[in-house]
Amino acid sequence: MRSFQSTPEQGVGEPRAKEQTEERGRIVMKSGSPRPLFFTGKRPRRDRHSRRKVSFFHFRSYEPAFKYFTEQVLDADFVPTPTPTRATIKRGEEMSADYVCTPFKHIIGDYAAALDQGADVLVQVTGFCRLNYYGELQEMILREAGYDGFQMLNFSYVPSGKIRDYIAYCKKIVNPNLSVAHGIKNLLGAYRMVEHIDAVRDRYLANAGFEVEHGSFARVRKQFLSDMNAATTNAQIEEGFRRAMDAFDALPIEKPVDPVRVGIVGEYYTAQDPTSCLNVEQKLLDMGVELSNAMSISAFNLHYNARAAQARVAEYCAYDMGPTSTFNIDAAKRYAEAGYDGIIHIKSAGCTPEIDVMPVLQRLSREEHVPVLFLTFDTQTSDAGLDTRLEAFYDMIAMRKVRS
Amino acid sequence: MKAFLGIDTGSISTKGVVIDEARKIIARSYLWTEGDPSGAVRRVVDDLRSQIDLDNVEVMSIGTTGSARRLVGAMLEAQVVKNEITAHAVGTTFLHPDVRTILEIGGQDSKIICIENGIAVDYAMNTLCAAGTGSFLSSQAHRLGVEVEEFGEIALTSEKPANIAARCTVFAESDLVHKLQVGYEKKDVIAGLCRAVATNYLNNVGKGKKIESPVVFQGGVSKNVGVVRAFEDALGMEVLVDPDGHLMGCFGAALLAADAPVHRAEPFMFDVDDFEFRTREVICGHCANHCEIVCVYRDAELIDSWGNRCDRGAIRPKAKTETAS
Repeated sequence: MRSFQSTPEQGVGEPRAKEQTEERGRIVMKSGSPRPLFFTGKRPRRDRHSRRKVSFFHFRSYEPAFKYFTEQVLDADFVPTPTPTRATIKRGEEMSADYVCTPFKHIIGDYAAALDQGADVLVQVTGFCRLNYYGELQEMILREAGYDGFQMLNFSYVPSGKIRDYIAYCKKIVNPNLSVAHGIKNLLGAYRMVEHIDAVRDRYLANAGFEVEHGSFARVRKQFLSDMNAATTNAQIEEGFRRAMDAFDALPIEKPVDPVRVGIVGEYYTAQDPTSCLNVEQKLLDMGVELSNAMSISAFNLHYNARAAQARVAEYCAYDMGPTSTFNIDAAKRYAEAGYDGIIHIKSAGCTPEIDVMPVLQRLSREEHVPVLFLTFDTQTSDAGLDTRLEAFYDMIAMRKVRS
Repeated sequence: MKAFLGIDTGSISTKGVVIDEARKIIARSYLWTEGDPSGAVRRVVDDLRSQIDLDNVEVMSIGTTGSARRLVGAMLEAQVVKNEITAHAVGTTFLHPDVRTILEIGGQDSKIICIENGIAVDYAMNTLCAAGTGSFLSSQAHRLGVEVEEFGEIALTSEKPANIAARCTVFAESDLVHKLQVGYEKKDVIAGLCRAVATNYLNNVGKGKKIESPVVFQGGVSKNVGVVRAFEDALGMEVLVDPDGHLMGCFGAALLAADAPVHRAEPFMFDVDDFEFRTREVICGHCANHCEIVCVYRDAELIDSWGNRCDRGAIRPKAKTETAS
C-alpha cells in the first residue's frame, strides 16, 4: 500500500523517499546476455501457466460440486480435503481465537489439512456477516503459521458482485486461460449438481429413519456422491441423480401414516455440516423421525426470495437481522404451519444473528404451540449432553403426539 | 408382590426407589455419587435391599436415568434407560397431574419443563455454564463456613438480602467476597445468594418460557427453603416442593420401567455385588477420528459398548440370547 503521509525520518524540505513501485520507471542496466529486440523467446501464454491446485473447505456433502466447479469451470486441479476428524478440528482450534465463530475453526483446520496435501489455492466465500472477513484473516493466520506457497481465492475481494469481476478475479488467481463460454456452460452443471445433492439429502432425511434394511439409504447416498464425484459432464450429473432417485424409490420403508416430524433451521454452516453439529440429523433419524432441514445452498443461495420471506414474517420482525435470520424465521413458521411436531434451531457458539432469531422463535413456539429446541455447538466432541437433550425432545414430542 | 426399581445416577448424588404395583414408593435411598457411579449404585442397591423383604417383593423391571444411565443400565440389565428430563416429567406429572411448570435444579444442571394437560410441551436445560446449581451453592457454603443443609434456614432469617450479581458464578463469587469484606451480615449474604440462584435460573434457563402455576420445584436445591422463598418472591406464585422431590427422577424411571412392554424373566435379586464391573476405554484406530469407545465388562464378559461415531468402530458383545431393552 502506498502511503502519502510523510514519514518521521523525512526532514523538512527534503525530497520524499521514493517507493519501489515509483522506481520502476527507471532503466536498469543488467549484466548478462542482451534481450533480443524482436523475438521474445516466450512460450505461448497458455503454456506459461502452471496448473493450480485448488482446495475448498469441507462443507457437508458439497465436495463433488466444488470439484466439478474447480475442474470443469475453473479448469484447475482439485485437491480434496480429508474427512475432518478430531485432529483437524483441534488444529483449527489452535489456529483461531477462542471466541471466533465455530465454522471459522473448522474451516481453518480444513485449510491447514488441504495445504498439507499440496493445495496452492484456497477458496473462501463471501456472506453477510463476519464471514466476509474470514478469508483475509485465515490467510494471515495461515501465513503466520508458516504456510507460504498459497493464494486465496477470496470472493469477498470482489465487492462489486458483478460476474465480469468474478471472472477477472478467477483468471488472475487460478487460470488466465479460463474459457468463459465453457465455464458458464459447466457452471450450470455445477448449479444443477448442488440442487441434486440437496434433493438427495432431503429425500434421505425424510425416509432414512424408516428404512427396513439398516444402512440402505446411506448406501444409496454414498453411491450417488461417488457418481457425482466422478462426473465430468453435465449429462453424467443428471444421469447419476436419476439413478439415485430410482434407487431410493426402490428401497422398502416402513413409515407410519403420521410419523413424528422435525424441522431443522439454524446457522448456515453448523445446521448443515454433520461434523460441526455432532451429526444431529443421524441421531434423530436413528430415533425414527421424519426430518427436514431448511438450510442448504439451493434453499438459501439459489432459490431464496428475500423480499417474499421478509413479507411472510412481517408480523414477527420488521427488519432483516442479518444473514440467515429472516430465512430461518420464515422456515420455522412454515414448519409450524405445516404441522411439524418440533423444530430444532442449531447455531454455533457466538453467532450473533442467530441469537437474535431465538426470541422470535420462542414467540413462535408459544403462539403456534410447537416446541423448539435450541442447540449451540462449539468444537466440543462429547455428545452425552446432546443425546440427553435430543432424547428428551423426542420423548416429549412423541408423547404429545400419541396423546393428542 | 411385583415391584419396580428406578435408579437415578446424577453427578453429585445417586437416588433409588422401589415402587409397588400401586406405584407407591416402598423403599428409597439417596447417597452421594462421589465420582464413582458404579460404586454408588451398589451402595444404593444395598440400601434398598435392606428396606424391603425380598421374599415378598419381586422386582420385575428396572429403569435407570441420570447422566450415568447407560453405564448403570448395562450393570443392572435395565429394561428402560431414559434421559432425566423425561423421567422427571413422568414422575412429577404422576404425583401432580395438574402441574404446569417443573423447575429443577440439580448438582450440575438445571432444567425447566412446561406441561400442558399432563404432557411436556417444552423444556430447556442449562447449556454452557453451571451457574446457580447445587455445586455452586455448596462451594459457596464451604467458603462461608456453613453447612449447605443449613443454608435455607439462615437465609429465611434475613430481612435485607444483599444484592448479588446473578449473571455468572464468577461475578457472583467476587460480589459475595466483596459484600462480606465491607461488613454485610452473613445471613444477608446467604439470602442474597439464594436470590441470585433463583434470578439466574429465571434469566437463563427460564428465559422466554411461560411459567404458569401450579409450579413444582425439585432437585437437590429444592431442599433449600431460602431458594424456594426466592422463587416464590420472584414469580409471585406458590412454589410446591414435594418431600420426595429429590427422588422424582428415579421415581419416573421406575414408573417407566413398570410400563415397559417387556419385563424381566426372573426377579432382580439385588445381587450386583456378586459381579465385578469394569469399564475399559478403547481408542478406535479405524480412522483418524480416534473415537473413544467405552466397553463395560461384567466379570471379564463384555456386556455393552458405546462412544463410536460409525459402525466401523462398533465393538459388539458376543452373540447371546437377546435381552429386550
